[in-house]
Amino acid sequence: MKMLLMQCKVEMLRIIRNPYYVFWSLLMPIVFYFIFTKIVNTGIDNAEAWQAHYLMSMTTFSVMGSAIMTVGIRMVQEQSLGWAVYMRITPLPGSVYFISKMFGQTVMHAFSVIVIFIAGFLINGVHMSIGQWVGSGLWILVASIPFLALGTLFGTMKRVDTASGVSNIAYMLMAVLGGMWMPIDSFPSVLQTIGKWLPSYNYGSGVWSIAAGKAPDLKPMLILAGYLFLFMVLSIYIRKKQEAV
Amino acid sequence: MENIAELQHVSKLFGGKTAVDDVSFVIPKGSVTAVLGPNGAGKTTVLSMMLGLREPSSGSVRIFGQSPKHVQVKRRIGAMLQEVSVIDGLKVHEVMSLIRSYYPSPLKLSEMVHLAGFTPEELNKRADKLSGGQKRRLGFALALAGDPDLLFFDEPTVGLDAPARRAFWQQADELADQGKTILFSTHYLQEAEDTAHRILLFNKGKIAADGTPDEIVSRLTSKSVSFMADLNGDEAYTAAEMVHRMRSIPGVSDCKEQEGRWVVTADNTDTVLAAIFRYNILARDIRTGQGRLDDAFELMLTHDDHEKEAVS
Repeated sequence: MKMLLMQCKVEMLRIIRNPYYVFWSLLMPIVFYFIFTKIVNTGIDNAEAWQAHYLMSMTTFSVMGSAIMTVGIRMVQEQSLGWAVYMRITPLPGSVYFISKMFGQTVMHAFSVIVIFIAGFLINGVHMSIGQWVGSGLWILVASIPFLALGTLFGTMKRVDTASGVSNIAYMLMAVLGGMWMPIDSFPSVLQTIGKWLPSYNYGSGVWSIAAGKAPDLKPMLILAGYLFLFMVLSIYIRKKQEAV
Repeated sequence: MENIAELQHVSKLFGGKTAVDDVSFVIPKGSVTAVLGPNGAGKTTVLSMMLGLREPSSGSVRIFGQSPKHVQVKRRIGAMLQEVSVIDGLKVHEVMSLIRSYYPSPLKLSEMVHLAGFTPEELNKRADKLSGGQKRRLGFALALAGDPDLLFFDEPTVGLDAPARRAFWQQADELADQGKTILFSTHYLQEAEDTAHRILLFNKGKIAADGTPDEIVSRLTSKSVSFMADLNGDEAYTAAEMVHRMRSIPGVSDCKEQEGRWVVTADNTDTVLAAIFRYNILARDIRTGQGRLDDAFELMLTHDDHEKEAVS
């Protein structure tokens, strides 16, 4: 237990000290939010709904990024620096190591959610019920699990450069095509069809529903569960193959 | 005496290539053993199997009578791996506290700081910002975090300067005095000779020799006789003739002229001396000498290369 607490604490320290985390996960989404609700898209009808919707977009954008990037690149780094090997000769069980990584990551996500929600409230005075705020936050945290699994999948790569390149591209493509930067309705129909099957769109769609005062559909939940299963199976399979040396 | 580690017929294949070939040995409690050998001899592979990082292709590895992967084993061992590995984003003292927390009865943080010899300033540095030598010292303190009974050092002094190297071995000696069992790999022959009670000499994945440093020396070194000889005055003894005569003596492996002296390498120096007198060689300033382990090592390797050539 002491081990687990210590490990979680350390993982959180490492994330918060990472300048990329502060930039990509906190600063970027807030700046985007400011630009797209205060400067660019002013004067549209139903501004309040748009402001709530876009706040959710930016929060999912932030959490999805740190789930994919931080987890994946960290894992490759630890592998290539030999730290992961060192951990295997210590009595720390691999499961505790993994759980605390995921737990630490989730706590940081909760922190990002709170910071960005507060920013939304301060910038635009976004108004939602307590239930909506809490529900949105919970959806964003729980539905980020498939992206953590995707992160561990990228974490099986051999080189930090490859992992960061690939996860960056995947992240940006998913964010744009999934309608996190601009609503998917404004896309050509082909892109819309593709976008609607991406995990990012389904991640956003659940929380957009909550922000609009509806319950999330079953469809995004099922699609996200499917992706979680896929990423986990792939990641475990690759890892097992690598360990069989 | 209790055996800390036991390897029985351990082999390891990497993609069809044999890295470790049917190796068996036991490590008794409180011993200091050097795994000595050239690069690629299988030293690190043996150590990583003993640490549970690699699975032997065949044979068994037992540490404290259990599988090296067992958590009870991991609690009692400490290791400094060859690759200097440091976690990022943490300060030195945080890394130390973290690793301490893994063990049931760890050293005090202050003891670890003392072992690594860090100043308060260094303790507050980010671990990944340390210099190579400082990382080694951190690695050493981390290896001892759990107050282990068995210590592994894989090529611990590679890249260290002479004073740092001396300081390291002094600390290792102190640990041995405390009764800890130590296994280290090195390709510095001097280190194995100076620090270890026992040397396991590895070559091409096999144990080429196993014994005390003295035994290894006497088993592998050949002795030599050297002398000055004036050949010009006597036509019966041309240089070629000298080489031929000397080489025909049983036990002589080499005869050559070096900087005006004849050097005859042989198992037994007495037969060489007898032959010198028997053949009436006008030899003066006769000296006998014994090769050091470095020479022996060289000899063994070149000898093996000849064998390889003969096979292929």
